Amino acid sequence: MTALTPLAARRRFIRPMCGILIAAGFLALWPLQRSIDQLQGAQAQFADVLYLSSGTTLRRYCLGYEGLLADVYWTRVVQYFGRQRLAHSTRFELLGPLLRITTELDPQLLTAYRFGSIFLAEKPPGGAGQPQEALQLLRRGIVANPDYWRLWQDLGFIYYWDLKDYRNTSRIFRIGSERPGALPWMRAMAASVAAQGGEIQTSRILWTEIARQVDNDAIRQSAEAHLLALDAEQQITALNALLDRYRDQQGHAASSFAELVVAGYLPGLPVDPTGVPYVIGAKGRTILGPRSKVDLALLQ
Amino acid sequence: MRVATIALHTFKESVRERVLYNLVVFAVLLTAAGILFGIISVGVKEIILINLGLASISVFGLLIAIFIGIGLVSKEIERRSIYSILSKPVMRSEFILGKYLGLLLTLVVNTAIMTAGLYLALFYEKRTLALSDLNVLGAVYFILLQLAVVVGIALFFSSISTPILSAAFTFCFYIIGNFLADIRWFGREAQNVFLERATALLYYLLPNFGNFNVITRVSHGEKIPGYLVVGNSCYALLYITILVSAAILVFEEREFK
Repeated sequence: MTALTPLAARRRFIRPMCGILIAAGFLALWPLQRSIDQLQGAQAQFADVLYLSSGTTLRRYCLGYEGLLADVYWTRVVQYFGRQRLAHSTRFELLGPLLRITTELDPQLLTAYRFGSIFLAEKPPGGAGQPQEALQLLRRGIVANPDYWRLWQDLGFIYYWDLKDYRNTSRIFRIGSERPGALPWMRAMAASVAAQGGEIQTSRILWTEIARQVDNDAIRQSAEAHLLALDAEQQITALNALLDRYRDQQGHAASSFAELVVAGYLPGLPVDPTGVPYVIGAKGRTILGPRSKVDLALLQ
Repeated sequence: MRVATIALHTFKESVRERVLYNLVVFAVLLTAAGILFGIISVGVKEIILINLGLASISVFGLLIAIFIGIGLVSKEIERRSIYSILSKPVMRSEFILGKYLGLLLTLVVNTAIMTAGLYLALFYEKRTLALSDLNVLGAVYFILLQLAVVVGIALFFSSISTPILSAAFTFCFYIIGNFLADIRWFGREAQNVFLERATALLYYLLPNFGNFNVITRVSHGEKIPGYLVVGNSCYALLYITILVSAAILVFEEREFK
C-alpha cells in the first residue's frame, strides 16, 4: 500500500464533506421554508390579484401562445371559483375580470363562456349572483362564435331561471333555434315559455337538458339537485292538496301523514326524491324531513 | 453529396451533444399536464393538451434552433476545425448549406418524435383519434417553417459574430418578428408619413413570425386553409433563401488566418 500524499488525503476528505454539506443543505431547506411560510402567515397564501387586467394587452405579449395562456387563465377561474365556494364566500369580485381575460385571450374557448356564465349567474353561495355579468359574457361569446347555438341556449336559460324574464327567454330561444345545428326542442321551448312562463314542466325540461349534455360532475350534480327540488316541489303541492281534502272531509287537520295512510288517502308514508319521509309542519303544510337532502332554496 | 455529408455530420454532432434529451422533458410535461389539468380544470383537457404540446414543440425547437444555430460556424472557427474542412475539396457555400440542413434535420427529427408523443397523449386521453386531429399536423408544419427561418437567422449571425451576440440578435429578431403587426399599426396610428413608411418597410423586411401562429385555432379543431399553407411555405422558403445566401456571402468573404 502506498501512502497518500497530503493533497490526495485532503481530496479524500473534501469529497465526502461536500456530499454531506449538499445533502444537509437540501434537508435544511425544507424546515427553513416551512418556518418562513409560518412566519409570513396568511400573507403568504395565494393572493387573489389580477396583475394584468386586459386580455387584449396580454395577447400581444405572449408571442403566439395565447391559447395556452387562455387555458391557464381558465384553470385560474375554476380554482378561484372553487376556492371561494369552499370558503362559503359570497365575494366573487375577480370572477368576471378573470373570465373576460380568458375569453379575450381565446375568444373560441367555448367552455369558458358556458361554465363561466353558470358560475357568474348562480345565486350565492352557489355562485356569484351576477346574472347581468353572465349575460355580457355570453353576448361576447355569441359575437365571437355566431354559429354556436348552445350559447343562445345558455343565454335563454339565464333569462328564464335567474332573471325570470320569460318574454326575453322566449325571444332568445327562438333566435337560437334558427342557428345551424340547433336541436328542435329550442323552438318548442320558445313557444312553451311564451305560453306558460315559469311552469315547473318547462324548468324540468331545461334542467334535464343541462344534466344530459354537460361532462362536468359539479354542474351535472347541480342540475340533478335542481331536478330533485322540482320533483319535491311538485310532490309537496300534491300533498298539500291532499291535506286540504282530508281537513275538509274529516273536519280536522291531520297532524301526521300516518293519519292519511290510516284513512286511506295515501298508500304509504310519502317520501321525498331522496327517500326521506315528508312531515307536516307547524302550519299544517307539508315540509321536508330534517334529514332530507333536497334543497328547495335552489328554486327561489 | 458533400452537402449531405456535412449535414449528416452536423446532425450526428447535435445528437452527441444530447440535444434530444429535451424529449424526456417533453414527455414528462405532457403526461403531467394531462393528469394535472384533468384534476384542476374544467372542460379543456384536450384543448390544453394540444396547446401545451404544440407550444412545447415550438419552444424546445426554438431553443435548439437558437443555441445550436449560433455555434454552427463560430464553433468550427473556435475549434479551428474549419481549416481542415476547408482544406478539403469543400466549397464554402457547401459547408454553410450542409450546416444549415444538418440542424434542420435535427429539428425535423426532434419535432417528429414530439408530434408522435403528442398524438400518443391525445390517444390516451380520448381513447380514439379523429380525422380532425390531423389539423395538428398543420400547426406542426408551420412550427417547422418558423424554426427553419430561425435557424437561418442564427446561421447568418453565427457567420458574422460571436455566439453570445448571435444568440441575442436571433432572439431579438424572433421577438420583433412576433410584433411586426403591432409595429406597423403603431406607425399608422402615429399620423406621421415618415414613421408610417419606416414601419411599413420593417413590416415587409423583417421575418413575420405572426404568419405561422395557428396553434390556438388548431386546438379548437379549426382546419388551416390551403392558401395559408402555400403562402407560408413560399414565405419561409424565400426568407431561408435570403438568409442562407447572406450567410454564404459573408462566409465567402471571410478570411481565416
